[in-house]
Amino acid sequence: MNKWAEDWFEFKGWTSYPFQRNTWKAIAGGYSGLLNAPTGCGKTYAIWFGVLADHQKRYEGKKKASGLHCLWITPLRALSKEILNATTTVSEDLDLPYRIGLRTGDTPAAERARQKRQWPEALVTTPESVHIMMSQKGYADAFRNLQFVIIDEWHELLGTKRGVLVELALSMLKRINPALKIWGISATIGNIDEARNILLGMEHPHATMIRANIQKKTLIETVLPDTLEKFPWAGHLGIRLAGKILPIIDASRSTLIFTNTRSQAEIWYQHLLQVHPDLAGVMALHHGSLGEEIRQWVEEALHQGILKAVVCTSSLDLGVDFRPVDTVIQVGSAKGVARFLQRAGRSGHHPGATSRIYFVPTHSLEIMEGSALRYAAKHQMIESRLPYIRSFDVLIQFMVTLAVSDGFRADELFEQITQTHCYASVTREEFDECLLMITRGGRMLEAYDEFHKVVVEDGLYKVIDRRIAMRHRLSIGAIVSDVMMQVKFLGGKYLGSIEEWFISRLQPGDNFWFAGRNLELIRVKDMQAIVKASNKKKGVVPSWMGGRLPLSSYLTGALRHKLNEAQQGVADRELDFLKPLFEEQKRRSYLPGEQELLIEKIWTKEGCHLFVYPFEGKFVHEGMAAIIAYRLGRIRPFSFSMAMNDYGFELLSDQDIPVEDALLQELFSTDNLSADIAGSINTTEMARRKFRDIAGIAGLVFQGYPGKQVKARHLQANSGLFFKVFQDYDPNNLLLREAYEEVYDFQLEIVRMRQAFERISTHEVILKQPEQLTPFAFPIFAEVFREKFSNESLEDRMNKIKAQLEQEDSKHGDRTGKRRR
Amino acid sequence: MEIVLGNAVVELLSQRALFLPQDRILVIADLHLGKGMHFRKAGIFMPRDSGDRDYAVLHELMQRYRPRQVWFLGDLFHSAHNSDWLLFEAFILTYPDVRFVLIRGNHDILAPEHYAALSLDVVPERLELDDLVFSHEPLEHVAPGKINVAGHIHPGCLLRGLGRQSVRLPCFYLYEQVFLLPAFGALTGLYMMERTKRASIFAILPGRIVLL
Repeated sequence: MNKWAEDWFEFKGWTSYPFQRNTWKAIAGGYSGLLNAPTGCGKTYAIWFGVLADHQKRYEGKKKASGLHCLWITPLRALSKEILNATTTVSEDLDLPYRIGLRTGDTPAAERARQKRQWPEALVTTPESVHIMMSQKGYADAFRNLQFVIIDEWHELLGTKRGVLVELALSMLKRINPALKIWGISATIGNIDEARNILLGMEHPHATMIRANIQKKTLIETVLPDTLEKFPWAGHLGIRLAGKILPIIDASRSTLIFTNTRSQAEIWYQHLLQVHPDLAGVMALHHGSLGEEIRQWVEEALHQGILKAVVCTSSLDLGVDFRPVDTVIQVGSAKGVARFLQRAGRSGHHPGATSRIYFVPTHSLEIMEGSALRYAAKHQMIESRLPYIRSFDVLIQFMVTLAVSDGFRADELFEQITQTHCYASVTREEFDECLLMITRGGRMLEAYDEFHKVVVEDGLYKVIDRRIAMRHRLSIGAIVSDVMMQVKFLGGKYLGSIEEWFISRLQPGDNFWFAGRNLELIRVKDMQAIVKASNKKKGVVPSWMGGRLPLSSYLTGALRHKLNEAQQGVADRELDFLKPLFEEQKRRSYLPGEQELLIEKIWTKEGCHLFVYPFEGKFVHEGMAAIIAYRLGRIRPFSFSMAMNDYGFELLSDQDIPVEDALLQELFSTDNLSADIAGSINTTEMARRKFRDIAGIAGLVFQGYPGKQVKARHLQANSGLFFKVFQDYDPNNLLLREAYEEVYDFQLEIVRMRQAFERISTHEVILKQPEQLTPFAFPIFAEVFREKFSNESLEDRMNKIKAQLEQEDSKHGDRTGKRRR
Repeated sequence: MEIVLGNAVVELLSQRALFLPQDRILVIADLHLGKGMHFRKAGIFMPRDSGDRDYAVLHELMQRYRPRQVWFLGDLFHSAHNSDWLLFEAFILTYPDVRFVLIRGNHDILAPEHYAALSLDVVPERLELDDLVFSHEPLEHVAPGKINVAGHIHPGCLLRGLGRQSVRLPCFYLYEQVFLLPAFGALTGLYMMERTKRASIFAILPGRIVLL
């Protein structure tokens, strides 16, 4: 048994869970593995005492420090702090000589230097920081005695390119010490076995899986409005329900209010204060763009139970238990069952406590999701996380990282990376192409070329240019963001950061909402927006990009099931409430069941709209819309504007869209699907958007030195330009191909889309031609974000637009051509 | 497309350039030559031949319009000296009888001897020709009756039509006394100009110019 654990648990007056004891035993037996446990049940200690025991066994009685013994990798800086505190407490309580250091992007240079002089026994860190350590000379020395790597919240990292960073770092650490033990901690996901195999590597001899099996009861309740809006408009309803959640906040000790975007969080915070001024002082705002100091204050206050409510985003999804929190409110769709349940789990931490979550729909149709979520939770429909494979952008970044520090040899590195799940299928030719990109800047070598990012000396790949090395270290990581501007008060107090493009639209003297305050812009200087507090009630709310996840396939499945129940008249709280909306849909058009696909063709003054409702989630709809547009475009040249939400999609054209029965069959046919998918991707912007992140990770787009933006000015170009140049001059480039592959896997969700086409091919197609927009159509019609498709010539499109503008001119005298609602 | 600017007839070319037929002057703004190599020198893999198109179009213009002078309205070469300057040298040397003039732009940071070696006349700020004043950045004050022909902005326009269609195009942009030229270089972006009634926008389509 684990002596220290027993002492300490007794000292704390706690009893250990079986899963904790099993983990201690497995670690003592030299196993690696995955611990499947929810947040807030002592998973940290399950691992930690195993690590401590190993250290004692190895070094007891020895005077010399062991050097780095354990790396604890977390996805969030906030979580790193939490782990640091938890583990340091153990060392202090038991008076152990085991020191724990923190190393994240915030760690000051002096502290990093001190760590390097004498490494602590453990470092709590992030995937990016480990890569930055590997870009320092002599990194292998630091990791020489490393025995453990712990990956916390692995389910959060898996399915992102940060997960690929972890895979690469582990491959290197395993090469330095082949006997390295790896432990992952993960919440329940659909592909938990795969998650373990990816983490531990293809063939790990000594691996196990430990499940905590702690069942938690979750209560899900939908907050219903007083009256039903029959024409739902995304985002319209939510804020009206603010009054409805006040009693919930009042009745709870401490409530977390989750929103899906940062701007939504700002709006809700503002609005709640307005309708309930008493909340001032006991309500706070927490999201990823706020400064560290503010966020830490909020987290601390939550711990102490001072706060009645916190409006937050995914920034509070993970880790960190706030014991006083007993209620969670989810504003808008959580998009997935796992995410919804994880958020629910942020309340009720005591063993045996019930998690309580209220779902606040943001438009009428979303009300149905409450019912679907209950159904999905009951049937344990927990989503999988799709891992990235063949991410050449991350590989190229890693190659340069190694070249910056001690250099690498091609054969060794190839062998090493092909052991990982991500790069297992990479061929030597592809690997060599990556090498060519960093050594020659591409496949061609021409006279007078001055490209020399990485040079080869006696077979060793190295960076010798110090500026290139410095620029690379500054851009290590797999999160690509827009250029950010710091928001500061005149006195210098830092509030947080906002995308530059938002600030650039403001004039000095303009007001905006940020960090829950009304701020007046005073001036912009050196990437800093200087502001002062204002008492005005008006101001714009910054909108941040991102946060456009699609509904998961489980949730859409549950939703279709619920819709079918609605058609059958099955009683259910949410469905009953929505009855008038369904009646209106039926009156104007049709209410489809599970075996039917509804298509509506509607004319408005904007043109001819085709609305299709597969209920398959936004991304699949985006792909379907592109394919249908592509197939229609083969009949004659068309230009479409396409919009989609999680329920359906719309094709809008300035000319009639033909929809005879025979044709409809063809449009949704599974024949030639692959070829048509390929064809349709080329005509849309999807790959171009994916390329944005790839260009950032691979080091094409450089965001400038912190505080020295001007120096790099001549090196700035947006990824769109790179995308175009690559398409024109190097169409077979690996990075370009990667963009297309990512569109297939993550944007179109190709497997899911194929299934959707197959499902639909068995359905009866119901075509309606309503006079007016229907309740189903309206929210899609109101979508602002639109994808484009055109196979008309530029000249034809231009001439048409020009003719239309001239017509408009004579009618309205307005030349902007903007649509009016 | 021919238009009257000040008192002169000028020709707007779909190759993103301006021709003054009376004086046989070709005016080109924002070429940003050598940009690809500047990126490559910094270890960013811009495809090697990404700048070739610019020279092809330059030669085409030279042969078609046979200008006596070529005026570059600034941002001729993207940044510090690099080997792409050799390509520009070769271009200039092909036309020994043509006078080349550069109105220096914010990107033109090469040492004077590079320009001198090619007998390229460098003008610090502006050039005047009858009613027209040429500069890189648009001038803040333009004398009454004059028109300022400038670059620097990289003007583009966004057109919207029925069915929520939209198209982005480079353009010439005339607003009061300032006439903006499109950026010539292939490796340049667009800055979307406002469509107001008081501005005339000449959108550039493949092979032709359209007044909106």
